[in-house]
Amino acid sequence: MENTMMFLLLKDRLVLMPHRKTVSRRRFLLASGGVASIGAAGCLGDDDEITADDTADDDSVDDDDDPDGLTNVEKAQTAWDRVVEHPHPDDEDVRNESYVEMEEAIRDDMILLPLFHGKSERFSYEWVDMPEMGPLGSHHQQYHNVELDTGHEHKDENVFEVINSTVTTLDPIQSTDTASSVVIGQVYECLTTYPAGNLELENQLADDVEISDDLLTYTFHIKEGVQFHDGEELTAADFKYAWRRVAESPGSRRASFLLSPTHLGLVAETDEDEGVGPANVVPDSIAFEVIDDHTFEIELTDPTPGALDILSYDAFAAVPEGYVDDLEDYDGEVSQEEVSSEAMRGTGPFEFVAWSPGDEVSVTRFEDYHEGQPIPEAVHWIILEDADAIWTYINERNADAFGIPTAHYDRDLVDAEEDDMGREVGTYAELDNGDEVNYVAVSDISTFYFAFNGGQTITAARQAVAYATDHEELVDLVFEGRGTVAFSFTPPDLWPEEVISYDDWVDEWPYSPNETDIASANEVLAEAGYDEDDPYELEITTYDDPTFQEAAALTRDKLAGSGMEFEIREAQFADLIASGHDGELQAFSLGWIWSWQDIAYGMFGFEPANTNTDLIPEQADGYYLDWEQVDDE
Amino acid sequence: MSRWRYFLMRLGLMIPVLFLVMTIIFVALRMGPLDPVAAILGPEGTGGDAVAIREQLGLNEPLWRQYLDFIWSLITLDLGQSWVIQEGRSVNGLIMIYAPRTIWLGLWAILLPLFLGIPLGFYAGLHPNSWADYLASFSGIVWLAMPNFWLAIMLLTFLRRTDGTRFDWYQIGPEIRSIIGTPPLDFIAITDGFSVLPFWFTFDLGGFLVAVKLIIPPALVLGSASMAAELRIGRTAMLETINSNYVDTARAKGLSNRIIIWKHVFRNALIPLVPIITNEAVLLIGGSVIIEYIFGINGLGALFFHAAVQGDLPLAGSLIFFFTLIIILLNILQDLLYTLLDPRVGYER
Repeated sequence: MENTMMFLLLKDRLVLMPHRKTVSRRRFLLASGGVASIGAAGCLGDDDEITADDTADDDSVDDDDDPDGLTNVEKAQTAWDRVVEHPHPDDEDVRNESYVEMEEAIRDDMILLPLFHGKSERFSYEWVDMPEMGPLGSHHQQYHNVELDTGHEHKDENVFEVINSTVTTLDPIQSTDTASSVVIGQVYECLTTYPAGNLELENQLADDVEISDDLLTYTFHIKEGVQFHDGEELTAADFKYAWRRVAESPGSRRASFLLSPTHLGLVAETDEDEGVGPANVVPDSIAFEVIDDHTFEIELTDPTPGALDILSYDAFAAVPEGYVDDLEDYDGEVSQEEVSSEAMRGTGPFEFVAWSPGDEVSVTRFEDYHEGQPIPEAVHWIILEDADAIWTYINERNADAFGIPTAHYDRDLVDAEEDDMGREVGTYAELDNGDEVNYVAVSDISTFYFAFNGGQTITAARQAVAYATDHEELVDLVFEGRGTVAFSFTPPDLWPEEVISYDDWVDEWPYSPNETDIASANEVLAEAGYDEDDPYELEITTYDDPTFQEAAALTRDKLAGSGMEFEIREAQFADLIASGHDGELQAFSLGWIWSWQDIAYGMFGFEPANTNTDLIPEQADGYYLDWEQVDDE
Repeated sequence: MSRWRYFLMRLGLMIPVLFLVMTIIFVALRMGPLDPVAAILGPEGTGGDAVAIREQLGLNEPLWRQYLDFIWSLITLDLGQSWVIQEGRSVNGLIMIYAPRTIWLGLWAILLPLFLGIPLGFYAGLHPNSWADYLASFSGIVWLAMPNFWLAIMLLTFLRRTDGTRFDWYQIGPEIRSIIGTPPLDFIAITDGFSVLPFWFTFDLGGFLVAVKLIIPPALVLGSASMAAELRIGRTAMLETINSNYVDTARAKGLSNRIIIWKHVFRNALIPLVPIITNEAVLLIGGSVIIEYIFGINGLGALFFHAAVQGDLPLAGSLIFFFTLIIILLNILQDLLYTLLDPRVGYER
């Protein structure tokens, strides 16, 4: 099989991590926030004093409390503090136990109700042969080893045809959406990569790395003989330039991924005169030392176990030194507007050809690609948003690999079996045009949820929603089975099995998993003093995605006539986020998609002090929960 | 009041209307719940980056200051860069890319009904209560009743399934790969040297035909309602005019039927159609978001919608500025057409 061969080939490449790590360190508060942690932590007192055994001297005992007298908020805060205090790779056990404690606190306070984990499906015509994708998403996939059978009666050209949604920018430091990163990933490359979105980090442009004992200094050796699309050889100076752009360019949208200790945390000088937020970095002050053409050294402020994972993010891609005019000391060959809209120069398998906004993007193969000449001559994306337009384009056999819009999807047509990587692989038959197509599905590392504001809801109401929710039915009815039920925020792929197996966790889930339990919902509401005649009012805000609206409507219909009146408000995404920042959402639906493989990258948002919407977004970056305000009676 | 003074006054009145519209869009986007920074960063964004972007976009300035900057940039046509939709691209550049698609669709959505609806309506009016009349009137009602989004999906499905049959839409005329997508509008281009045509343009007939073929289905759907409206009003207008006294007089003095209809009746029957047609011209600019979506043509309508819901103030503001400008100008054009068609319409009190 072509696919297995491809897989072995990938495995042969060096995996550079010294330790298997699933944890990165998140700070108690963003360092840039400038707010004393003692104030933010509120009732918990100085965070330095809190350790695993040292509980807050609060003698009020609640039914939900742990035996040692902690409220769930305190339990979560203590657990998170313990994670922060144990960044070393050897302390993974401590961290994993803490994560499970946080999950328990979330569950018992029902501050957030996980609904489902996403599932990515990809369909492809029989003339396509490409590596299967992994759970981090197909946007990590480079297309250089996609094989197209041009001998097939319906495939003439060796051009890979795909559908994309609206691309917003071509500049790696500006990109924040997957549509853009799909294109950027073909042209630019980083030090590390998750091949095809599989959970095994590999070298891309890095050859080797040495990490100092204090985990603060990383020495990278980059591959030799790698060429940019204009023929110049890649050197360490190009990486320095590219990272300086991340830190200093006004176009950068991810400066904090480089500078903030909650992400990579590169050492840099700051100066108030330079600007606000991460823009206050002094030009050319990042702790990045070029040692020779192929070696460089960086220095971090804190140990960051996830550093190598973070470096696979688009923004850290190599750009030829002096390419853009957005740094003070470089004139640049192209302007910042050009690099975000009509010029790209990376080391990737494909060279940029053209982007017609809202219409199409095309790239052509780079003959001197460092891993050998790419197989397809070109890649062409058509930009389509509408389900019927996409469905038409698919059935015309114009797209080689694609997703099927839910409106035209029928799960009974899938015939697939699970492979050894947990993916479902098989066929889908048939499309409107009578063709049978290849099918692959994989659970994403993502979680979609209903979340609640602790200060604006009562615990009984949150629990009642959990009782009323039937996860299996929801995934079946609303998502046509295109997801897996979620009973924890951390997806099963990341779940720390050593602490408690995921199956046991689901078995212990107290809110009648996979059934609609209105009786229990009414019971908890009655205890809190609400019934059908005097219902508790809960308003949930969902963004304008039909699936979330249906999910909310399903819950509303179930709770009709119970002790709760469940109302739905719809908002545009930007509106929802902005209201969340302002702490105006009583309940809301959103999702979290992991960009790299790391439990902490999802858990940091639950640290109770970090969910304070008075401090979000400037000084805190948690989910909009106001968890500390939960009333424990 | 002379005609020219009247037009000057109309032009002068544009200014307060434009200001009002500008103010409304500013209030809706800047004082409403939409946050462009949240749209830019997405849920993964961090506070520090949000602060920096806020500063960079000037969102920390006092609101009155932002308002003045906004108005000034529109007046001077220095439209700046898009904030969210295509960060870094100039608004002018974006409009130059998106507008031709909408204009091409709108143009055909106006032309098709004009050359199908009006002749059919006049024909029906000239032969009232005939089978042809019944057929035309009935189909008019059907066209009017079918919702556009439904019609669009049906048409797409139908055309797609002609693939490989005797009536193969893909093969009729110029061959096309797909019935959806943005039509290639590069059939006309400016040359730097000699060309066959006069002026400095080149014209590619093949490309033109492909562009026409791609636009006909969406234009037919988008124009379907106006086609039906023009058909029905055209029929009534024709009936009314043909039965008026002066037609009897003309007939009595022995004019041929052809001269009566083409020289007198036709012109008079057009008068009630003028506002209908000019109002349809709004399709030219707003297009139809739904039709553009379903046929995969990303034009101004979709662009404006995205810009508005994501708080992209420079882009949404500039687009609505131009929309308003064009609508006002179309109204003035409508008045002008009245005076040309019907000399009795004047500006004297």
